[in-house]
Amino acid sequence: MALRSTKYDRQLRIWGEHGQSALERAHICVLNCGPTGSEALKNLVLGGIGSFTVVDASKVCASDLGNNYFVDWDSLGQSKAKTVSAFLHELNDAVDAKFVEESPEALLESNPAFFSQFTLVIATQMQENSLLKLDEICRQQNVMLIIARSYGLAGLLRISVEEHDVIESKPDNKVEDLRLHNPWPELQRYADEFDIDTTDNVIHKHIPFAVLLIKITQDWKRAHNGKLPANVRELKVNFLTITARRRVEEDEDNYTEALKSAYVVLFPPEISTELHAILEDKLTEVNASSPDFWVMVAALKQYIAKEGQGEPPLDGAIPDMHSFTDYYIKLQKIYQARAEADVTAMVGHVSCILKQIGRDSSSITRTTIKHFCKNTRHLRVLRCKTLRDEFSSKAGPELQRFLANEESSHPALYVLLRAVDHFAATYNRYPGAFDGELEEDVSRLKAIAVSILNDMGGGGAALPEDLISEVCRFGAGEIHTVASIVGGIASQEAIKLLTRQFTPVQGTFVYNAMSATSLVLNL
Amino acid sequence: MADQQQQPSSLPSSRTDDGSGMENRWRDIDRLLLRSGNLVGPGFEPGPELREALENDFRVLVIGAGGLGCELLKDLALSGFGHIDVIDMDTIDVSNLNRQFLFRIVVSFGSIRSSLSSKARAICGWKSCTAVGVDCRMQDVGKPKSEVAAARVMQRVKGVTVIPHFCKIEDKDIAFYKDFQIIVLGLDSLEARSYINSVICGFVEYEEDGSPDLSTIKPLVDGGTEGFKGHARVIIPGITPCFHCSLWLFPPQITFPLCTLAETPRSPAHCIEYAHLIQWGQDRIGEYFDADNPEHMKWIYDQALKRGEQFNISGITYSLTQGVVKNIVPAIASTNAVVAATCALETLKIATMCSTGMDIYMQYTGTEGIYLRTVPHDKDRNCIICSPGVPLEVDKSITLQKFIDTLLKDSRFKLKLSKPSVSYHGNNLYMQAPAVLEEMTRPNLQEQLLRLMGGETSDVLNINDRRLTGVLRVRVTFREGADTIDMDTAGT
Amino acid sequence: MIKLFSVKQKQREAAENANGRPPVKKQSAGELRLQKDISELNLAKTTTIFFPNGKDNLLNFEITIRPDEGYYQGGTFVFSFQISQVYPHEAPKVKCKTKVYHPNIDLEGNVCLNILREDWKPVLSINSILYGLTYLFLDPNPDDPLNHEAAEVLRDNPRQFDINVKRSMSGGYVAGNHFPRCI
Repeated sequence: MALRSTKYDRQLRIWGEHGQSALERAHICVLNCGPTGSEALKNLVLGGIGSFTVVDASKVCASDLGNNYFVDWDSLGQSKAKTVSAFLHELNDAVDAKFVEESPEALLESNPAFFSQFTLVIATQMQENSLLKLDEICRQQNVMLIIARSYGLAGLLRISVEEHDVIESKPDNKVEDLRLHNPWPELQRYADEFDIDTTDNVIHKHIPFAVLLIKITQDWKRAHNGKLPANVRELKVNFLTITARRRVEEDEDNYTEALKSAYVVLFPPEISTELHAILEDKLTEVNASSPDFWVMVAALKQYIAKEGQGEPPLDGAIPDMHSFTDYYIKLQKIYQARAEADVTAMVGHVSCILKQIGRDSSSITRTTIKHFCKNTRHLRVLRCKTLRDEFSSKAGPELQRFLANEESSHPALYVLLRAVDHFAATYNRYPGAFDGELEEDVSRLKAIAVSILNDMGGGGAALPEDLISEVCRFGAGEIHTVASIVGGIASQEAIKLLTRQFTPVQGTFVYNAMSATSLVLNL
Repeated sequence: MADQQQQPSSLPSSRTDDGSGMENRWRDIDRLLLRSGNLVGPGFEPGPELREALENDFRVLVIGAGGLGCELLKDLALSGFGHIDVIDMDTIDVSNLNRQFLFRIVVSFGSIRSSLSSKARAICGWKSCTAVGVDCRMQDVGKPKSEVAAARVMQRVKGVTVIPHFCKIEDKDIAFYKDFQIIVLGLDSLEARSYINSVICGFVEYEEDGSPDLSTIKPLVDGGTEGFKGHARVIIPGITPCFHCSLWLFPPQITFPLCTLAETPRSPAHCIEYAHLIQWGQDRIGEYFDADNPEHMKWIYDQALKRGEQFNISGITYSLTQGVVKNIVPAIASTNAVVAATCALETLKIATMCSTGMDIYMQYTGTEGIYLRTVPHDKDRNCIICSPGVPLEVDKSITLQKFIDTLLKDSRFKLKLSKPSVSYHGNNLYMQAPAVLEEMTRPNLQEQLLRLMGGETSDVLNINDRRLTGVLRVRVTFREGADTIDMDTAGT
Repeated sequence: MIKLFSVKQKQREAAENANGRPPVKKQSAGELRLQKDISELNLAKTTTIFFPNGKDNLLNFEITIRPDEGYYQGGTFVFSFQISQVYPHEAPKVKCKTKVYHPNIDLEGNVCLNILREDWKPVLSINSILYGLTYLFLDPNPDDPLNHEAAEVLRDNPRQFDINVKRSMSGGYVAGNHFPRCI
C-alpha cells in the first residue's frame, strides 16, 4: 500500500483516494489499438485502472512501426491486440490486461452483449455506421462511451452518455460563500466582540477582515437607511474614513485584505444558472428508482426554500485571513458549525424524501450528504445527444455563420471529417489514399462535404478550398503526435467520467493540429 | 519479413525496399512529408530528401527526461527524427511511475517477453528494494532517467539514436548546445528554462541592418504542465518573444510571512513551513535539510503535527507536508501526453515546414471541458536577453575609458546616460558603484575593450545607468583603426 | 512562421562552433538585472558591501550595517545575500549572520521583513531591501515578531529592551542566550 500511494502520489493530489478507487474499479474496453487507442490506454494504465481489453483484428505491419510505440519489429505479423496489450501491461502490472483478436465491427454484429462487462468503452478510428450501432448498444447497456478519431492533422472527440452527474466538479474559480452581507446570529455575535476602533495597535491589525467587512458594511447601512453601498468604490471610501479616523500610517494587512475582498459583500454568490436548471429538472420529482444524486437535489430544493431562505447550504470553507491564531480558528469553527447544521437540515430532508419514495431513510449516508453540501454551488449534469441525433442535426445555419466569418476552421473540419467517412463508404477507400488521384479526390470530397452541410440545413456555405485539399493530403494518415493528443484527451475525459470529478466536455470536440486550437460544437 | 524477425538488432533503412514492406513504415507521416500542401510553412520542400534529413541531418536536444521528456522522446522518434540527445540530472523515483512510462518498478515474467536488449539490460539491471516496506524489484528506481529513457526508446523504435547525458544543463559547455538544430524543453523549473533561453538567445548573430542571421537561430520549443492544465510554446530567438519577454506568464510563488509562521499560524501549511524554515535551523543546528531524506521529512511532519496540536490546527498530513516542503506540482499522464505531443509536432513543423505553425503560445485546459487555444503576445523590444542591441562600431584599439566617452557623446545615448557601468556577459568591466567594485574595476578603464571582450569582434555589452529604466544593450563591432591616433589620445 | 532549415543546404556541421575561443561565461537573466541593481547601489554611510567571490560573481554578497542611531547604535551586523538566477522574479534570500537580540530577527538569523517574502515585487531592488534592513534597526517592530521574547520586552518595557540590546551587543547573556560581541 505504501508503494501504491507513492506511485500514484502526483495524481492522488488531484483526484484523491476516492477518485483512485473509482479508477481501480473500472473495466475499460478500447476498440482498435492504433496509436490513438494505445496512447489513450497507456495513460489509463499508468493511472491504475482495474482492467483493460483491447479489441483489434489486425496484424502488426510495417506502417505500425512508424506511428505506434506499443509494437516492435519482433511482433511484425503477429496480433496487434496481443502485442499492444502485452506492452501496455508492462507499464503497470497492477492492471489486468486482456485482448480480443477480432474486429470491433464484427463484434458489434456477432456479440453486442460483449460490451456490457465494461465500465467505459473508448472507440478509436471507427467509421460512422459502426459508431451508430455501438452508441445504441452502449446506451442500452448503460456503458459510457468515448469516441475518438485522429485524422491527419485533425481530430474529433465526443462523449456519449445518457446522463452524467458530477458533485465534485472542482471548478477553477470556486465561489467564496462568506455571507458577510447577511451574517447569521453566531457570526454577528462573533463580529460584535470586536472593537474596530481599538487603540491597541496589535489587536487592531489582527482583526480578521471578515469582521472588518461586516462592521463597515453595517456602519454604512446604518447611515444610509439600510442600503448597501452601491459599488466597491463607495465601500472603499468608507474604509478610508475609518482608516483616517484611526490615523493608521501604513497599510495594515487585514485592511488590505478587506479592501481586496470587498466585492464579496456587494456581490455575494447567487444561485448559478446551471444550478438553477438542475433544481428545475424534472428528475427532481423523485421516485423509488431515482438515483441518490437526484434525491439529494430534491432535498436541496426543499432546503433552499425553507432553512436556506434562498441560499444553498454553506460549504464552511474560509480563506486565510491575517489575524491571531485564536481569532481565526474561532471564526473557522463558526463557519464549520453552520455548515454542519446545514448538513443536518439536509439529512432531515433527504431521509424524509427517502421515506416518501419507499426507501430506507438512512440509505444515503451523512458523509455522502455532507460531501454533496460542500459542492452544491458547483453541481453539474451532463446529457449527451445520441450519435444518431448528432448526425441528423440541423445546426447547419449555425455552422454557416461560423464558416462565413472565417474566424475558425473547426466547423469546416467537422464537416470534412464526417465527409471522409461518407467518402470511404462510397469509394471503399479514404480520400487521398493514392498519390495519383489526389486532385480528383478533392472535388469528390468537396461534393460530399457540401451535401452533408446541405443535410444539416447549412446549404450554400463555402468550405475553405485549402482545408479540403489538406484533408485529402492527410489521406487518413494517423500521425503519432496527433494520435497522442487525441488519445491523451480521450484518456483525460475517461478519468473525469470514471472519477466523477471535473466537468467532461459537452458537445463535439474538434481539434486542429495545424493551429494547435480546438472548438467544441454543440450540434 | 521472417528475416527481419530473426535479426532484430539489424537496423534496416526505412527506405530500402528489401521485400519486408518496410518502405511503408513511415506511410502515415509521409502524407505530410512527401506531398505538397496549401496550408504549409514558407518554402516547404516535400520529398524523400526531407525524411532523410530528419533521419540523418537533424540533431534535436530534449532537456528533461521526466513526464514531458519521456513523451517527447517517443513522439520525436515516431515523428522520424533520427538523432536525439536527452539531458537529465535526476534519478528515477517511485512517484514518477504514474506518468513517466519509460520507467518501471516490476516487470512481470511469463506471457510478456523481456523487451530489452543486452545493452539496455545492462543499463536497466535489477535491483531489489525493500525500502518502501514492500518486497518488490525496483528495476529502474534510483537509476539515471536519461540513460534508462534513451535505452528504452532505442530498443523500441528501430533506427533512432538517443544519446543520454546524465548531468545538469549548466555542466555542459555552451558549445555543446551549438550542436543541435532544435532544442525541446520538458522542464518543471523556471531557472532551467531561463538558463537555456539565455544560452540560445546568446547564439543569435545579427546582420548589419540589425536583422538576425537565420543560420545562427536555434528554435526552442517549451512545454509545461500542472494537473489538467499545460502550455506549449515556440521561441524563435531574435524573431518571436523569448522566455524572458513573457516571464509574467509565470505567477510568482506564494510565500508566507515569517512572522505569521512564528506567531500566528492559521493553516496546516503554516505549521509545516514553520517546522521546515524555522524549527529545523533551531533544533538541528548545522544539519543540511534534505527533502529527499525520509527521516528529515518525517521530522518536519512530526514537528508540524505538534505545532498544529499546540495551535488547535488540524489537517496536517504526511502527504501535505511533502507537498508544501517540496512544492510538489500535481502531474498526470494525459496532460503530459497532450503537451509533449504538441511540442513534438511543432518541432516537426519547424524542421520541415510541413504545416502551418501554431501562434507562439498554446494554453491547454482540461478541467472544465477541453480548451486548446493560442495566445499571441509581443516581443519585448528592450528585452535584456533577446533584443539585438543598438549597433555601435568602434576602433579595435579603443580603451574602455574611450569607449565610455564615446557612449556619452553618442547622440543616441547621451540623454539617457550619466555614469554608465559596462558589463560583458558575466564580467563586470567597469562598475560606477559601489565603491569596492569601482575600485576593483577601475584598472580596466585603460585596457583595450577588444581584449576585455576576449577578442570577440562583435558582441553585446550591457550598459547600466541610473537614468535608464532597464539595461541598455549595445552591440559592439570592431573595425580596423588607426592604432597610433588612438594611442596618442588614450591617456588624455 | 519562418523557414530556418533547408533540405538542400545540409545542416551545418558541429565542428565550426566556438571559433577556437573558449566560450564566454553565460549569464542568467537574474545576473543581468543584478548588475543593474548593484551598479546603481546607493549605499548609506552606515552600510558597506563585500563580494566574497570577486567582482564577476555578484550573486552572493555580504552587507554590513553599522547603525548610527537608535537602540542598535554602534553595533555591526552582517547579512548574507543570495540571489536567484531568476531574480527579480524571486526575492533575494537574506540571512543575518550576526546573532542579534531583535524582535524581527530570530537567533538563527531569519529576518522578518515583508518585502523579503510575501510582499516582494520585481520592481523592488537590492536598494529597497537595504533601506528595509536599515529601518529594522532604527525602528524594530514589536507587532510582527520573530523573536517573541524580545518583542514583548520592547512593547512592555522599552527601557529594559534598550538595556538588553546593549548587553547583547557587548557580548553578554539575554534571556539565557549568549550573544557574541558586535560593538
